Amino acid sequence: MFNIDFNGEFAAFFIFSAIMIIGAVLMVSLQKVVHMVISMAGVFLGLAGMFVLLDAEFVAFVQVLIYAGAVSILMIFGIMMTNHRGAKADPVKPLHETLAAIAALCLFGILFYAIRTTDFPDAQPLQAVEDNTSSIGELLYTGYVVPFELLSVLLTVAFIGAIAIAKKGEE
Amino acid sequence: MGAWLHDPLTWSDAVIIFLWGAVFLFVVLGFVTYAIYFERKVIGWMQLRIGPNRVGPLGLLQTVADIFKLLIKEDTIPRKADRLLFVLAPILCYVPAFTVLAVIPYTEKLYFADLNVGLLYYAALSGISTLAIVLGGWASNNKYALLGGMRSAAQMISYEVPLVISVVGVILLSGSLNLRDIVDAQAGGWFWDWNFLPQIIGFVVFIIAAVSELNRTPFDLPEAESELVAGYHVEYSGFRFAFFMLSEYVYVYAIAALTTVLFLGGWHAPAPFLDFVPGIVWFLLKFAFIVFFLFWIRATFPRIRVDQLMGLGWKVLLPVSLLNVFLTAGYLELFVK
Repeated sequence: MFNIDFNGEFAAFFIFSAIMIIGAVLMVSLQKVVHMVISMAGVFLGLAGMFVLLDAEFVAFVQVLIYAGAVSILMIFGIMMTNHRGAKADPVKPLHETLAAIAALCLFGILFYAIRTTDFPDAQPLQAVEDNTSSIGELLYTGYVVPFELLSVLLTVAFIGAIAIAKKGEE
Repeated sequence: MGAWLHDPLTWSDAVIIFLWGAVFLFVVLGFVTYAIYFERKVIGWMQLRIGPNRVGPLGLLQTVADIFKLLIKEDTIPRKADRLLFVLAPILCYVPAFTVLAVIPYTEKLYFADLNVGLLYYAALSGISTLAIVLGGWASNNKYALLGGMRSAAQMISYEVPLVISVVGVILLSGSLNLRDIVDAQAGGWFWDWNFLPQIIGFVVFIIAAVSELNRTPFDLPEAESELVAGYHVEYSGFRFAFFMLSEYVYVYAIAALTTVLFLGGWHAPAPFLDFVPGIVWFLLKFAFIVFFLFWIRATFPRIRVDQLMGLGWKVLLPVSLLNVFLTAGYLELFVK
């Protein structure tokens, strides 16, 4: 059923998945917001490891730079500025929790069944490029130059909009 | 080193690679020990003092004694601190500091990882240390620590932007993010083939932003002794404090090595007739000069004011580094292609 050969790649995949799943579970179960952000940063790092396994080093380290570094620090800043006192845990509702657990298990069952039964066609085998970073750059500036430019315009608009909103609050 | 990296991984190779890592760790620890000693000596001489001269001959064992003191000190954790994060922060600060060193090539043969996005790897992982500093400041539950952590994060994020953009010119010139290819692109025999002259604007911005990233004088606001007690690590003592200090000096090592690789031609000799000297000697000379330069700055500059700091980063360094990217791209388009 599971035709897996146990090699280093599989071990690394297993470790990174464990990091991501544990981080995600801690993210929803921890009480303090700062702890949640740290476990989320753990998920981001695990994801970066997955990208490395897929030979996508550029995406992997951009993931670390943007998400594990910048976004996490930004969130921590926000949390510190707004000063959260450790929120009290809600009283446990047994019925609610049982139903939630059943729903979650059903969802898992459906997804697992769907993934196991799907026949993944072997789309053209990955053509390993010598330097995938420069291939990404070439594609961005030739075939995908219009979406790339549009995205940068969108980001600039969002950036200016954020400044404008912050200015308005000051007055 | 290259042979082990490209062979399939066997257990014996894994052990050899692990041992190399351990040897390298001790080299870095030795560097940190004597960098601190020389920093105190050099600053002492520049300020007409003698510097440490009591422990061992010429005071050579002073840092060893200091480290021993830190290790046997009582390890205090404030009762109202966030215990988990307080313990986690020094580790999270040191691990990226050591891992970024993996991509630095020392000579043509001596390197630890041949990564095609080496420069990006450096920039990405060093950001994690900022996270650790903010966490350490926050977890201490102390207003000075929190202020220091905040200042540090604001400063390191602001200066990381010009730091990364200032090396884009180097990437354009050499056409690669791989640090080994960047050094190879600076071959040519003479020192004017190195990137620091063609990329003089980028070089200056890089040096200023790097000093600021290191939180050293004149940008040592996160731990400004006279106004913040000590900054983000005020509640730390013993070996946890030692880890913060250690990562700070490991980053000195990293930045000095990175500057050598990016701008000063790595292991290349400054003139063709000096080629008989092995590359590692040139690398170490350039590296030692950068480290000395950092100490020199520390001994002679006053601290910048906190309100000028952000202005310098965003309004001066960022536009200048962007201009450098435009100039380099324009030059390559008009004259090289």
